[in-house]
Amino acid sequence: MNPCLLCMKPISEVASWQSFFALEKKKTLCDDCSKRFVRADIKEEGDVLDAVHSLYEYDEAMRDWLHQYKFLQDVALAQVFSNELRRAFSSTDTIVPIPMHPERARSRTFAHVETLLDGAKRPYVQLLAKTNTSVMGEKSRHERLNMEQLFELIPGAVVQPITYRLVDDIYTTGTTLRQAATVLKQAGAARVEAVSLIRSIQK
Amino acid sequence: MNKPFDPAVRDFLDGRIWLRQHTPFSVEIINEHIESGMIETTPGVTMKKGLFGQISCKCIRCENEDPQLFTSFDCLQCEGPCAYCRNCLQMGRVSVCTELIVWNGPRTLYPTEHALAWEGTLTKHQKRASEELYESTVRARPHLIHAVCGSGKTEILFEPIHKLLVAGKRICIAAPRVDVILELEPRLRAAFPSTKLEALYGGADVKAFEAQLILATTHQLYRFCHAFDAIFVDEADAFPYTAEKTLQHAVRKAAKPAAPIHFVTATPSDKLLADIKKKGAVSTIYRRYHGHPLPGPRYEPLWNYSKELAKGKIPKALENWIIQRLDLNEPFLVFFHEIELMMKAEQAIRQLDDRIRAVHSAHPDRKQHVQALRAGKIPGLLTTTILERGITIKNIQVAVVGAEQSIFDAGALVQIGGRVGRNVNHPSGEFVLFHNGISYAMDHARREIKRLNAGGDQP
Repeated sequence: MNPCLLCMKPISEVASWQSFFALEKKKTLCDDCSKRFVRADIKEEGDVLDAVHSLYEYDEAMRDWLHQYKFLQDVALAQVFSNELRRAFSSTDTIVPIPMHPERARSRTFAHVETLLDGAKRPYVQLLAKTNTSVMGEKSRHERLNMEQLFELIPGAVVQPITYRLVDDIYTTGTTLRQAATVLKQAGAARVEAVSLIRSIQK
Repeated sequence: MNKPFDPAVRDFLDGRIWLRQHTPFSVEIINEHIESGMIETTPGVTMKKGLFGQISCKCIRCENEDPQLFTSFDCLQCEGPCAYCRNCLQMGRVSVCTELIVWNGPRTLYPTEHALAWEGTLTKHQKRASEELYESTVRARPHLIHAVCGSGKTEILFEPIHKLLVAGKRICIAAPRVDVILELEPRLRAAFPSTKLEALYGGADVKAFEAQLILATTHQLYRFCHAFDAIFVDEADAFPYTAEKTLQHAVRKAAKPAAPIHFVTATPSDKLLADIKKKGAVSTIYRRYHGHPLPGPRYEPLWNYSKELAKGKIPKALENWIIQRLDLNEPFLVFFHEIELMMKAEQAIRQLDDRIRAVHSAHPDRKQHVQALRAGKIPGLLTTTILERGITIKNIQVAVVGAEQSIFDAGALVQIGGRVGRNVNHPSGEFVLFHNGISYAMDHARREIKRLNAGGDQP
């Protein structure tokens, strides 16, 4: 039995016929740790970005998770939300993850959004490329809202007049997702929706 | 070897095993030292293919080999399959393609002039133990100081540590709990005013990396390699030291190959006693420094306490006990077996006095709350087992809620009781076990306290 990914304590599991036949999903967190994450399911609508579905609110539990996943580079934590993320999509969705600049991805050793989707076993297409190495988390709200173009289409990418679903880890001012949506729409996308794992509401 | 090197780099790295990209020095300086052979590099994690193609990993920093604690992934840095260690992740991730560095140049020479400013006197039992401990250090054999709570264990260490410092040796006092380190730090700083001393724990503000006397949680020893001429492990039986093999390895790795590792505890496990008897020596002290016996536990039933507390009610017996403490103006600790129950109890108990607080391992203000209790600013604390050892508060009174819970083993109960009556002017006090049925551990603890008070003769 694997220990809990966050507190490292053994996970107590009740033996059942479901678990015996491996019908039940293997738990990655113990009950105490999974209780800390409360689904918020915030749905917002807009013009450029037609709809955004955020699964969780940015709280203490999420802050800790994000810190350990992105900054301590704990790749294993991508498994924590794999089931939730998987269910946020249907198998017919065309998923486009928000890209990282290749240089930054190399220094982090993994691309965090794509690794989340890998964990959720949802295939994705990469249509966008980051044009610079700037980091959103280090900018003020004002700077973020006045950013120059962040993304471009990767050479040879074909955008069809269908619905695309962007994916990012955290949605704060929305600049990242809106800019990505603009690029896709200018290239001919009919509709651009987004799924973000976390919604950070600034007060 | 007369090659030049930067003494600052040596002072920082000597005895350490560190992430190459996380030093306080520039990349160029580190590179120069690697080229001249002063710094050696090693991969962070080694991967081996077994007989049947299964991959086994080993973390070079924390010596973890548990396959459950490694995660493999496609690394964008080394552009291939990579694996990292999750056991020591909090100290910066170590993976196959991260490099660790160790100092390979001439070793630091430590000063040999040190003052011992402690002015108390040792009892004859303490003095004997202190001499025996030094004797073992000279003969490089492990030594166990098995001394009851409140017998003055820390003072026993002063003489031997001073002699070692004067001989230019580097010393470490390690403990599994950060609370123990925080309690020890001011006492040792006062005792060794002219010695470079540093306390290392998660979140500590470290300045003197080159300190000759180091206080550290056992976790921090992951980052040392062949550094110390002697290590004293305080409260050696505390969680998680006993439960985690890698922490025991870490202590061994942090000591120089022939250096002795000593243990200090009031409640040694049978295994520790057996191990020490094979190779080392034991000093036992049954009397507290003030000569009074250890307070024995009093059993008091508290039927269905968890249901009542969950409903937000304080069981009558517990309420009376707390009110009595408040009336008598006696500081108190109430131990709980789990955080959730304690938090529910806190709300109810604060109706009696709003200054009462609860602390647990993840509590941001736990340091301040304990300080406030010591200063008499708050009347009492609710706590998990984190405060079961290492803390000394004058005239403290202690209760355990749910003493039958499995987390309270005999050792833990003896330690909790050991908080009571440590001061000469208040040599006894309340030690109540509120229970929902008497456990073997409770009886074991009561027998053990009786045995110690009788001088250790009776079984």
